[in-house]
Amino acid sequence: MTARLDQRAREVLADEDAVRRHDASVFDLRQRRDAAVAEVPDWEALRERASGIKRHLLDHLDRYLERFETQARAAGVRVHWATDAASANRIVSELLAARQVRQVIKSKSMLTEECGLNPVLEARGIEVVDTDLGERIVQLAGEPPSHIIVPAIHRSRFEIGALFHRTMGTPEGESDPERLTRLARADLRRKFTEADAAITGVNFAVAETGSIVVVTNEGNADLGMSLPNLHIACMGLEKLIPAMSDLPVFLRLLARSATGQPISVYTSVVTGPRPGAELHVVIVDNGRSELLASDGHRGALGCIRCGACLNTCPVYRKAGGYAYDQPIPGPIGAVLAPSLRAKEGGAELAQASSLCGSCSAVCPMRIDLHGQLLAWRRENRTAGALERVVTFVAATAMTRPALFGAAGRTAANFWSLLGRRFAGNPAASWLHGRELPEHPGESFRAQWLRRRETPK
Amino acid sequence: MVATKGNTEVSAREEILGRIRLAALHKARHPGQHPPPALPGGWETFAGRLESVGGTPHGPVAGAELRRMAFDLASTRAGDGRIVAEPTAADWLGPGPWQLASDAAIPHAYEDVAVGFVRGRVACAENGAVAVAGSDATSRALLVLCQHLVLIVSVDSVVPDLHAGFAALPADAFGHHHLTWISGPSKTADIEQALVYGAHGPLTLDVIGVER
Repeated sequence: MTARLDQRAREVLADEDAVRRHDASVFDLRQRRDAAVAEVPDWEALRERASGIKRHLLDHLDRYLERFETQARAAGVRVHWATDAASANRIVSELLAARQVRQVIKSKSMLTEECGLNPVLEARGIEVVDTDLGERIVQLAGEPPSHIIVPAIHRSRFEIGALFHRTMGTPEGESDPERLTRLARADLRRKFTEADAAITGVNFAVAETGSIVVVTNEGNADLGMSLPNLHIACMGLEKLIPAMSDLPVFLRLLARSATGQPISVYTSVVTGPRPGAELHVVIVDNGRSELLASDGHRGALGCIRCGACLNTCPVYRKAGGYAYDQPIPGPIGAVLAPSLRAKEGGAELAQASSLCGSCSAVCPMRIDLHGQLLAWRRENRTAGALERVVTFVAATAMTRPALFGAAGRTAANFWSLLGRRFAGNPAASWLHGRELPEHPGESFRAQWLRRRETPK
Repeated sequence: MVATKGNTEVSAREEILGRIRLAALHKARHPGQHPPPALPGGWETFAGRLESVGGTPHGPVAGAELRRMAFDLASTRAGDGRIVAEPTAADWLGPGPWQLASDAAIPHAYEDVAVGFVRGRVACAENGAVAVAGSDATSRALLVLCQHLVLIVSVDSVVPDLHAGFAALPADAFGHHHLTWISGPSKTADIEQALVYGAHGPLTLDVIGVER
């Protein structure tokens, strides 16, 4: 861990313009989501259905995984199993090396971000080209994605224009999003046609038919699956759904929750390889079976990676993705981080929440996100020494009325000293940007008793 | 060594499934089919939704009118560029300025296509999406490599919602390499949330509704 969460957040918050722009862009997604949801009369029933299907799926995950494997194999798919990130990376890089692959086109996959696949392939001399425009931008900038749906949301058009000029030789000073997109399209078309292999993520995997479902707006995954003769799809083992008739339930929720679209532009259901080509599916555990075994956190495996909880979270909107320092930021990232263990420092993220519950309210899968964050706080005991002392003192006083009354009377006398006396003290960080109100001169308890005795 | 690698993967499978068998509760039942939502259907609803996602609806048309419309679209969208029609779309259109897609094994053969004509099987009013069956797009690359895509769909195939959409797919829909729902032209908003049509796939999407 390079720095503490609050230190990282402070660095991000120093650029006020960037914070304002990020907040506005992210909240715009939240509002689009709200408008799209309002058009669906059965939205709540859909959420209920989807979370019920996923609960059933997780309760029978062993059978559905075996069913998926059997059906996918029958359709000509090669299925691989990876216990952790290292073995997933090894399987993919050996598949590529055995076929002398030099150039790979990749569409967005949060799983391969979690596993850190790109650097492993690059170390073997394989060029990996991220093709989702947002991912391409952060790849050219040498940064990780800061959002799971819009990876470059933290960058302005001017920064992106300058980046394209430096890395792709586009005209200097170009900052029009449409022209920048066209320039990237032309550059990436060449990469698509030259590539020897494609790597994609998997949005859903259907046990009944052995199909994988890949969803994009840009068409990059479809180009990847159509051109080279080798396609490797990487999926977390929780991506399964039981049957094809379940798929529309999830598809109707996903894009609306993510960007407010009624459905993504391309929803590709792939059953078996293209004639003459190879399709490999790598099923990755990497901490997921552990989550399944935990009664308190199993629900987090229902996540469909829509990003709605990021877009509504007051902490994510201000602090941005990098403050989390994990492959998946925001509320769901904080809930998953301790189990997926992609990077250290995951446990402290449970503190990065106001527990306002907005994340749980928008989650299409009805995951109890803020409840999970609270549960992690309890389990990790991540609270600092001071926080523990304060909690202990408060609990002692609050369960003893006489002591509580005395504490209130005492506090009235020392009120004016707070804030000044605490400057330079760790507790003072909480007082940043907050002002103590004028003290009324007596405790709440005293006021309460007095007012009860003299009704108006 | 190949054998060692194979054994590692077999043991990974057993290890993962073993952990999951222990953790799976085998309790919660499947909640059953989602009841059909009360959403409006029909070509007009579909056409309105298609426009809202950046596509252009045409028709309904029939017979000679369909051919005239296809010729018009071919010339406005393609200019002097190459036009390719999948065989099942050409069946509806008859002969025209389009070549037949024939060489599915060489996807790169479609890199220079300006306009592609492909038949759609189901149109969904809820989201403006058209389902393209693998058997109607054997050259899958054509769907995404062409600069302008024209989908031809029967107006009778419009369903109100996506549940009905999946139910209406042909029986062998998942017996082919792909089944693709397409809702509008390819797009991105990755630069400052500014919506741009024509990301990696087609720049435009036209959908012709056909009365048969």
